Amino acid sequence: MQRTILHIDLDAFFCSVELLRNPALEGKPFIVGGKPGSRGVVASASYSARTFGIHSAMPTSQAVRLCPELVIVPSSHGNYGEYSDNVMSLLRDSAPIVEQISIDEAFLDVSDAPESGESLARELQIDIGSRFGLPTSWGVATSKLVAKIGSEIGKPKGLVVIPPGGEANFLAPLPVDMLWGIGPKSRDRFHKSGIKTIGDLAALSSVELSARFGERGLELAGMARGVDRRKVHEGHTRRSISSERTFPRNVSDETELLRMMRSISEDLGARLRKKGLAGITIRLKLRWPNFETMTRQIRLDQPTDQDAEIYTAAVKLFKKSWKKGQKVRLLGVGVANLGLRIRQLDLFDRSWEKDERLLDAIDKIRARFGGQALTRARNLEAKVRRQEEDP
Amino acid sequence: MKVSCLQENLARGLSIVARAVAQRSTLPVLGNVLIATEDGRLRLSATNLELGITSWIGAKILEEGTTTVPARTFVDLVNTLPNEQVDMELTLRTQTLNVRSGAFNNDIKCIDAQEFPPLPPSDIDDGITLNVEELREMIRQVAFAASSDDARPVLTGVLAEIVDGRFTLAAADGFRLSVRSVSLISPNTEPLKAIIPARALSELNRVLSDGEETVTMHLPAERGQVIFRAKNIELVSQLIEGTFPDYAGIIPTDYVTRSVLSTAALYKACQAAEIFARDAAHSARIRITPGTDTEPGTVEVSATSAETGSNETIVDATIEGEPVEIAFNVRFLVEILNVIDEPNVSLETSTPSSPGVIRPVGSDNFLHVVMPMHLGR
Repeated sequence: MQRTILHIDLDAFFCSVELLRNPALEGKPFIVGGKPGSRGVVASASYSARTFGIHSAMPTSQAVRLCPELVIVPSSHGNYGEYSDNVMSLLRDSAPIVEQISIDEAFLDVSDAPESGESLARELQIDIGSRFGLPTSWGVATSKLVAKIGSEIGKPKGLVVIPPGGEANFLAPLPVDMLWGIGPKSRDRFHKSGIKTIGDLAALSSVELSARFGERGLELAGMARGVDRRKVHEGHTRRSISSERTFPRNVSDETELLRMMRSISEDLGARLRKKGLAGITIRLKLRWPNFETMTRQIRLDQPTDQDAEIYTAAVKLFKKSWKKGQKVRLLGVGVANLGLRIRQLDLFDRSWEKDERLLDAIDKIRARFGGQALTRARNLEAKVRRQEEDP
Repeated sequence: MKVSCLQENLARGLSIVARAVAQRSTLPVLGNVLIATEDGRLRLSATNLELGITSWIGAKILEEGTTTVPARTFVDLVNTLPNEQVDMELTLRTQTLNVRSGAFNNDIKCIDAQEFPPLPPSDIDDGITLNVEELREMIRQVAFAASSDDARPVLTGVLAEIVDGRFTLAAADGFRLSVRSVSLISPNTEPLKAIIPARALSELNRVLSDGEETVTMHLPAERGQVIFRAKNIELVSQLIEGTFPDYAGIIPTDYVTRSVLSTAALYKACQAAEIFARDAAHSARIRITPGTDTEPGTVEVSATSAETGSNETIVDATIEGEPVEIAFNVRFLVEILNVIDEPNVSLETSTPSSPGVIRPVGSDNFLHVVMPMHLGR
């Protein structure tokens, strides 16, 4: 299946945060980093500083030589982590799969989103700008590799879309060291062989490549043509749990689908309570008979571990995605952004506390007498109920 | 229209009304400030239809008249003019306002004042007279507890109530409730009930900072509006429709434990806990231990974060009742303690899932109810 991958990079991230704290730095050459005397290095350079040839990881003393009026902002006081967390959690709420690769970079897999990758990226770019005041650059492509190069090319405040099939053409004119894994040493080796651009690399035959650069050469040539099958992996820090069922035959009956959703929600709730966790994002996954799969998610006001809250959110998503009579092959519900169960109690509505006590009692009975000891009447097999009604 | 005034006065008047200018409206005139000669003064008004603010400034009126000036242009211009006399003259036919000061000469394109929404009439009924200093303190102690979530519009407002000659403001965002009351200057006032947007009251608090002593509150019948009028300022706001929850019913009438402690010491302890509580939904634990014959009672405020670390601060307290451990959103505690000026506060608690009540010691006209947080199992 063709994928849609977004890559986001927070432009000159540390500098952008400092600019929010101190707008007077606007337009000035400045860096965030250590003091020149103490072997400090540049952590982030403003775009104005970059015009002097200053870049991150350069010793601060060298940066000052390049630009004597350079303003040095110590990196110690910024709350960069908080800004990064805010952006990342916005991304996690907007896309089903998010892989954070550093404090200021992430991949998003939005393959089954209804909107195009481009409009999603543009929406998020505007949203992050207006909510947090941070500029971002975006790459939209069919793979991680091409999306990342896309955002790199567009910086700052860029949005570069590489349409499916256009990968090789897009990469061809770019310098070969823009490919992942090509550092200064490999670059020099390539340059000696007359390979300057990614296109030069892609043009070599596989025989030539493996002869000159071994197995790695073949891998690089694939990348040079825009082939990169690596998946977007969720980070390990934000866990999620989910459960899905494939129906033995496709189901279009709403009651049956809702009953399944409730049973999955109860299963998830019980698992969360057993682990002492609660999640704030609820996801729904539906697979149609043609194997097309869609996922939708919604963010709650507070983390939950209660069956009914998970179910209600899942139903809300279901009603938006499912048309009456539509056949479903697989149904899944998930709870994401898991954390400690902390609940702010409500002044007016005490129903959460009631449910809490009820679930506590149910969990205790199940722990003693087994999982089947208590079941919601409406979850019983329809057959059994009919038998009871009809003696 | 032909008027002269001081740049300083004009700039101050504009800064007062500018917050009511509509940001993005389909009605261009709402992005303008109305200027009008009125009883020997110059009236400046702005409205976004929800909230309207008027400021009157001293001016020399040479010729009566009125127009509306684009707010951004006018404010930016006046702020760059020298601190001298500003002369303004309107060319009616083209609706062009000439603004001249020293060597600066500017023409601003205006919109006819007839297009500006109607303003409250000057001859409204006698209002309820309130002391400005007291009203501002009431707003400061109540408005922050209103909700910012439009899902429950009623809770984004502050309930203003008059019962038995007492004027009360109350706000609740669903998790906490602030109630502050005061005796009215004229005790024989008719009872009333209205929900005023918290934002309007915060703006009122801001614009009243300018040396006014009393303000009158008017609720003209059937208008769905509240008007606050002082000597040089008027603020009008739409009321919020709906029924405010019965807040009296949720104020606990009893407690198991009452702790009395220094407001400042508890505030500091909560501020410290807030740093560590960030990753834990701002939850902090409060452990209340009554004293013994030899040892004073203590209130321990603590917070733990898997990433940041942990902290605890012990504050001496006079405690009557049982030991208790309860968790609160520590930001809520910081916010409430920040608006209590009395040196000591009391914290009344019952069980870990029942509301806590915070009151300044020695004053019975303010109380705050805050729901605890439920942690783990």
